[in-house]
Amino acid sequence: MLQAIEARGLAKRFGAVTAVEGVDLTLAPGEALGLLGPNGAGKSTLLSLVTGLRPADRGEIRIFGHPAGSEAARKSMGLTPQSAAFPPQITPRELIAYASARHGKRPDTDRLLTAFGLQRLIDRRMAGFSGGEVRRVALALAFCGAPRLAVVDEPTTGLDAATQEAFQSLARDYVASGGAMLLTSHHWDEIEAICDRLTMIDRGQRVLDGTLAEMRATMRINRISLVVDGAAPDWLPAPDTDGRRHLESADSDAVVTRLVREGVGFRDLLIHPLALKDILAHLRHEV
Amino acid sequence: MLSHLRAELVLAARILMRQPGFWVPTILFPAMLYSFFGASMAEGPAGIYALASFAVYAVVGVGFYQFGVSVAQDRETPFVLWQRSLPGAQWVGWAARIVVAMVVVLAAVGMVLLAGRWIGGVIPGRGETMRLLVACALVSVPSVLMGIALGSAVSARAAVPLSNLLFLPLAYLGGLWMPPALLPDSVAAISVWTPTRAMGEIAWAAIDGRAMPGRYLALLAGWTLLAIALTALAQARHRRAMFG
Repeated sequence: MLQAIEARGLAKRFGAVTAVEGVDLTLAPGEALGLLGPNGAGKSTLLSLVTGLRPADRGEIRIFGHPAGSEAARKSMGLTPQSAAFPPQITPRELIAYASARHGKRPDTDRLLTAFGLQRLIDRRMAGFSGGEVRRVALALAFCGAPRLAVVDEPTTGLDAATQEAFQSLARDYVASGGAMLLTSHHWDEIEAICDRLTMIDRGQRVLDGTLAEMRATMRINRISLVVDGAAPDWLPAPDTDGRRHLESADSDAVVTRLVREGVGFRDLLIHPLALKDILAHLRHEV
Repeated sequence: MLSHLRAELVLAARILMRQPGFWVPTILFPAMLYSFFGASMAEGPAGIYALASFAVYAVVGVGFYQFGVSVAQDRETPFVLWQRSLPGAQWVGWAARIVVAMVVVLAAVGMVLLAGRWIGGVIPGRGETMRLLVACALVSVPSVLMGIALGSAVSARAAVPLSNLLFLPLAYLGGLWMPPALLPDSVAAISVWTPTRAMGEIAWAAIDGRAMPGRYLALLAGWTLLAIALTALAQARHRRAMFG
């Protein structure tokens, strides 16, 4: 099966600065890949290489078998850039019609209106749109041409909680229906909700890659939280301001057994798997 | 391809037409200037040359402002970057903008012709009008290319003042506001090397039904090549800055 994205040995420099170095990336149809990394890690540069907006200095990128940036690659792709701005004289309906025409498709305006809550805005000129409203239009435009690959750079930045949830639902449906999605986000819960697989970039290099399940399996660590009544043993960490003590352990059963064996009085015990951001923090530390 | 061209035409026309503060002065200003100065300065048989001069002035204005300013503004917006991610050749967007600019040129030249009829009492014959329109179409190419060169070379903030700084003196130096014979000697010596003088000479020859003056055609070709070279250099610099 053709990969939606197949990139090998990508490298990009800006003068003396190495933005991306030796990155491999694959994404299959029906899969969502979360691209993570701190600010300035090279995520946006990598996206611009994938979308063909910038040429790579080294390496090769194919989108459904076609070179990135080629007509065939652009036909199969929709993009929401990190910073979006549109001519203030134009309405969202006109932009949707324009983007659809560029893809050679009839505009599916009604579906996009509902999906991105644009009903009220659709015939208003975009002058005076709030940041969140512009973002919603930018997201809708990525799905205009019924793309097989959606590249969305920080899709829900500036959006309210309801629109974030609506986007997550749409993204899951899109991926479930066979679409491929490459996503960057600073919202860990969004990545967790949408993506099957994660790639972490740091200083232009891929430092982690795998499914969330694989990472959880690698990091079989639970976060244990409890309130101790009376004297606490030395091996328990000091309580937070809310009186709860938090610790991490690969064997939460052993921790609880030890508490009982030592006769420690405790209550409100909570045990849950590490959140994505904590797993990544651990893995990055190991790397 | 056709649906792409249509989409680009509609987009370019909407963006332009919904900025009346931009296109109304572009269309009206040359006719107003002609009415205030051109009509009274050149009466009688010379009136038709003044009419041709202000028609050329209208064409150059569209090149400098519609392209010079908008190219500079576009270059700095993420919208253009998003457009580049869409399917379809990039030149189609440029073709659409040139078509829309031609409509504005036609309107601006039409207003000058109307002002000539109503205010200057100058009514060119059908042949003269057609030849003048052809000359305007011809000189619109270097005008647009010079506008693109300007817009490619400078920032959006600098584009408007620099357009004014170049456009207005060039119009004067080229003899578009007053006949070249009335220019002071020192100015006349510079005038013969300006692109606006070349454009004017082409329009005046068209009015007379004379052959296009070879010297000025060559001069205009030189300015056009210079504009293309400047655009290529500026765009390459911009690509390096943006895309590495």
